[in-house]
Amino acid sequence: MSERKERCTASCIQRAGARQVNPATLLALAAPLALMGCAGDKSILDPAGQVAREVALIWWVMLSFATVVFVSVVSLWLYALLRKHREHTPTQERRIVRYWIVGGGLLLPGLTICALLAFGVPTGKRVLPVPLDNAPVVIEVVGHQWWWEVRYPNAEGEAVVTANQIVMPAGEPVDFHVTAADVIHSFWIPRLGGKIDMLPGRTNRIRLDADAPGRLLAQSAEFSGVGYAHMTFPVEVLPREEFDAWLAARQPEAIEALTATADAATLASFEESCARCHRVAGLSTGDTGPDLSDIGARATLGGGVLTMEEGAIAHWLEHHQTLKPGNKMPPHDDMDAATLEALGSWLETLTP
Amino acid sequence: MTTLNRQATPQDPDHLKGLHDDLQEVWGNPRGIRALTIVNHTTVGLRFMVTGMVFFLIGGILAMLIRTQIAMPDQNFMNPDIYNQVTTMHGTVMMFLFAIPMLEGLAIYMIPKMIGGRDLVCPRLSALGYFCYLFGGTILTFSIVLEMAPNSGWFMYTPLSSSEYSPGLGSDFWLLGITFVEISAVSAGVELVVSILRTRTQGMALHKMPIFAWYILAMALMIVVGFPPLILGSILLELERAVGMPFFDVAGGGDPLLWQHLFWLFGHPEVYIIFLPAAGVVSTLIPVFAGRPLVGYGWVVFAITVMGFISFGLWVHHMFTVGIPQLAQAFFSAASMLVAIPTAIQVFVWLATLWVGKPRFELPMLWIVGFLVIFVCGGLTGVMLALVPFNWQVHDTHFVVAHMHYVLVGGMLFPLMAGLYYWLPLFSGRMPSETIGKWGFWLVFIGFNVTFLIMHWTGLLGMPRRIYTYDTGMGWDIFNLISSIGGFVMSAGFAVVVIDLLLHFRYGKPAKENPWRADTLEWANSLPPSPYNFVSLPKIETRHPLWDDPDLPRTIREGKHRLAVASHGRRELWGSDPLTGKLREVIHLPGNSWWPFCAALALAVVCVSLLIRWYPLAGIAVIVAGVFLLRWSWENGAHPRAAPDARVQEGDPPLHSRTLDGPGLWTMTTTMIANGAFFLSFLFGWFYLWTVSPEWSMPDTSPLSLFAMLAVGLLFAVGCTAMETCVHRLRQRNDLGLRLRLLVAALLGAVASMVLLWLILSADLAITETAHDAVLMVGLVYALFHVSLAALLSLLQALRVGYGYVSAEAPFEPVVVAYFWRYSVLMLWVLVGALAILPRVIGG
Repeated sequence: MSERKERCTASCIQRAGARQVNPATLLALAAPLALMGCAGDKSILDPAGQVAREVALIWWVMLSFATVVFVSVVSLWLYALLRKHREHTPTQERRIVRYWIVGGGLLLPGLTICALLAFGVPTGKRVLPVPLDNAPVVIEVVGHQWWWEVRYPNAEGEAVVTANQIVMPAGEPVDFHVTAADVIHSFWIPRLGGKIDMLPGRTNRIRLDADAPGRLLAQSAEFSGVGYAHMTFPVEVLPREEFDAWLAARQPEAIEALTATADAATLASFEESCARCHRVAGLSTGDTGPDLSDIGARATLGGGVLTMEEGAIAHWLEHHQTLKPGNKMPPHDDMDAATLEALGSWLETLTP
Repeated sequence: MTTLNRQATPQDPDHLKGLHDDLQEVWGNPRGIRALTIVNHTTVGLRFMVTGMVFFLIGGILAMLIRTQIAMPDQNFMNPDIYNQVTTMHGTVMMFLFAIPMLEGLAIYMIPKMIGGRDLVCPRLSALGYFCYLFGGTILTFSIVLEMAPNSGWFMYTPLSSSEYSPGLGSDFWLLGITFVEISAVSAGVELVVSILRTRTQGMALHKMPIFAWYILAMALMIVVGFPPLILGSILLELERAVGMPFFDVAGGGDPLLWQHLFWLFGHPEVYIIFLPAAGVVSTLIPVFAGRPLVGYGWVVFAITVMGFISFGLWVHHMFTVGIPQLAQAFFSAASMLVAIPTAIQVFVWLATLWVGKPRFELPMLWIVGFLVIFVCGGLTGVMLALVPFNWQVHDTHFVVAHMHYVLVGGMLFPLMAGLYYWLPLFSGRMPSETIGKWGFWLVFIGFNVTFLIMHWTGLLGMPRRIYTYDTGMGWDIFNLISSIGGFVMSAGFAVVVIDLLLHFRYGKPAKENPWRADTLEWANSLPPSPYNFVSLPKIETRHPLWDDPDLPRTIREGKHRLAVASHGRRELWGSDPLTGKLREVIHLPGNSWWPFCAALALAVVCVSLLIRWYPLAGIAVIVAGVFLLRWSWENGAHPRAAPDARVQEGDPPLHSRTLDGPGLWTMTTTMIANGAFFLSFLFGWFYLWTVSPEWSMPDTSPLSLFAMLAVGLLFAVGCTAMETCVHRLRQRNDLGLRLRLLVAALLGAVASMVLLWLILSADLAITETAHDAVLMVGLVYALFHVSLAALLSLLQALRVGYGYVSAEAPFEPVVVAYFWRYSVLMLWVLVGALAILPRVIGG
């Protein structure tokens, strides 16, 4: 019985997830959006997934309603202040007063609350990671000061590990299991929905889905200290096949093969200066800093401070304390520019 | 006026002058260095407000720094660490050093004048509160100058604020400084409650109280219950930082979410603690400027009460994103929206009052209309934020920052400004300038809306709060620039207001009597008021004494009402029945004293020495502060410096120290409510960690000896019985063997503390290893403090019997001390049950 109910809820959710908003509504929404500049990589009013879309709709409805209430209350007040005084008998006065207090003080907020809850509570339920018939993709995200560790666990209990980027399939629900390694962070992909806190010692779950392939942004959204402003991470939404290929390219044999191209000198300086904190699959196992195994394939560096292009890593290695003040990588004053450049160009080749 | 003039004061001016001189002699404020001894509520209230204003300006400058830094993308005006210090301090200063003390200052100043009293009921406590606030605030603010200010956000979420992730002194400045300041908040809360309930003038029944007093009563009660969770949280976090007790550390069995619960258990009621007095100002001003009584007085009282209760059930709406169960979210979501009802009731009561009245549009009303526009907007976004899915999206973005400023600036600052302009003639005896005042208002109003209305939008575009820089290309640039420009317009507005206030002391037109044609008693004072407020205390028939009898200020001044005598050297006011306002006793108040200043100074030394971790000095300073406080309590009741003789005017009720139910009893009860809230927060922490903390471990066998715990409980209970016997016999006016019984109680208390001390030392608690042992230690030390303090108080009572200060004629004090015993015995047994028995029954 309970199992059936569960399955029913689950299929409802899938249906809700698959439902598309009709184009007319979208157009009606898009017009004011374009006018006021709602678009933006982190704008919650430019939704790219079902959950965010529902919240955006809720916002517009609430805004319209609130505007009506606001304008009426303020106009009533101004009218009461400025209108010509009329004498009332005590009975009339009592009636006026009762009218205002019961109407404005009890009914108005009471009905508003009921409407809002009826509208809002079901939306909240849709984000819950209830079991589905087809188990969704699970992505584990661990917040660190000031970067994200991202893991794709498989059935055998092993995981593909990457950092500071999220790659997810389009058009299907994805469960994010989030936690933190040091202080509290918060997981947020504004155009998909959220957010949910990453707490040390706990794992929180949230279900999101993206409509179509494309590039989005994730943001760590709980204040976490000096590096907090630089915690923006690219979210790559891929068609299912490409996502599978992406994951396959990061399986142990495939990813460890990448390191073969390094020359001995670069490897030695990597061993000496980087390996203790950074993991590169097949080379090192350090885990205090971000995993670098596929760093060359990431869209940005340093939590969004640099776009990945030729020479970006070397530039980062040289100037990271000015680019992202306070980050926990020590300054590389003791290493000459040539070594840093060699390291940078080698790391850029780690592109599965 | 129907009041009988029992003193039969002759009308001749010489006699009147003599009466004024007598009152001035008893109540007058000393000058020079001895001004530090002043305890009078008028002076203390003004000091609170002026200091609050200074902190407001500091907080405002910090806000301008923030707006400069994020006015444009990629700015390098401040480095991230300094920026974090500035944002943290802006929030901290505005909330803890401006909003609360400012409103408390207003209440301290206004309440006795409004309810026909001459001072608050614990004047020395007012002074202590002020100095704690001044010293604590100064210590905290000084950290900015040292560039060591707290930097983990004004709600100090741990682990970010822990010693591992915030190694410097910043968090310590916050935790110690704020705790120190909270002493002042709680003490003001306690005495406002008691003063409102017990010192209203004759005939002022609860339902005839000015509406402002209702608001302040609710605020004060909320402070009493709402602040202790934060005090506990701060103590625990400081212990974790300084000693390493892992209350919030997952690895040690603690939980960082416990901090969030304790913080918001305080933090949410605090919003209403700030809003209620401000709404009280609105409810006071609107009837005056509408020229008719507030309609729906009962509705408003109902709304205040409901708001007070609901506000304690909302704290989780600050934590919707921490991953709490759906059902709990729905509950807290609905509860958060419910607050809209009492708020809407008030908004529509104000509207209805204007509707049926004849509104006059003067300067204070401008600020009231500004309040309404901004506050309604903030309230509406508040309802939106209570909706969980929307909350998830905008939580921790600039949308929340905008909402919060709309509620706090709209809900607190605008009414406060209205109140300041309205009561200015009372403070200074002069009228404000209409022209400059209007300029100030419009600049602030426009500047505020430009800054914060647009900020909702920035938040919806995804800008998180507290980032010190952002990239161009997010679409945030222009909106941030507009916000910053608005911010500077707003500060220009406040500069104009400050200039207006300063100038008016010199150039303002002298105010005539009751300049706004108000109805409440504070306008029966002379402008500005004398230290004793009223020469004689009138009898009140309705809520609108000055509308009923416009001649009242004159008859009060001429001493035509009661208690118009000071030749006995006592500071007197009425002690009245809390419900009916019938006279019960004459309360005599202590005069100016050095003890509050000295005690606050010693506490400041404690605070600073804990900050620099010089513990021997801290220990000495604690003892010195304790001695000062006990020495202060010595000058009480029948002590010759408190009340040299007990004679009263014919027909007047007896002195309170000669009864069994004086205000001290009420103060003790209210203090124990605060103390109980602290203890309940502790129990909440214990059970929360026990049931929810991810890595909590309960040892197989309790480290506490059950036998010893029960022994402590029994010994102390017997001691309490001895105290009860004292009280029982004093009620029958029998003081035979009083001293012996007090000594027995003291002895039993002392033995109980010895056993407890032995228990603590022998339990061998690993307080830095497990949260379990750390919590036990805090509970036991809390118990030890109570048990030994109870013993000490009884011992002092026994001594006072010897001096003749306590006897069948002056039976008041043992009753008060017995209340402390009762609370302690109850607390002790709950503690025995929770810490020693329950784990044995349920197990880990």
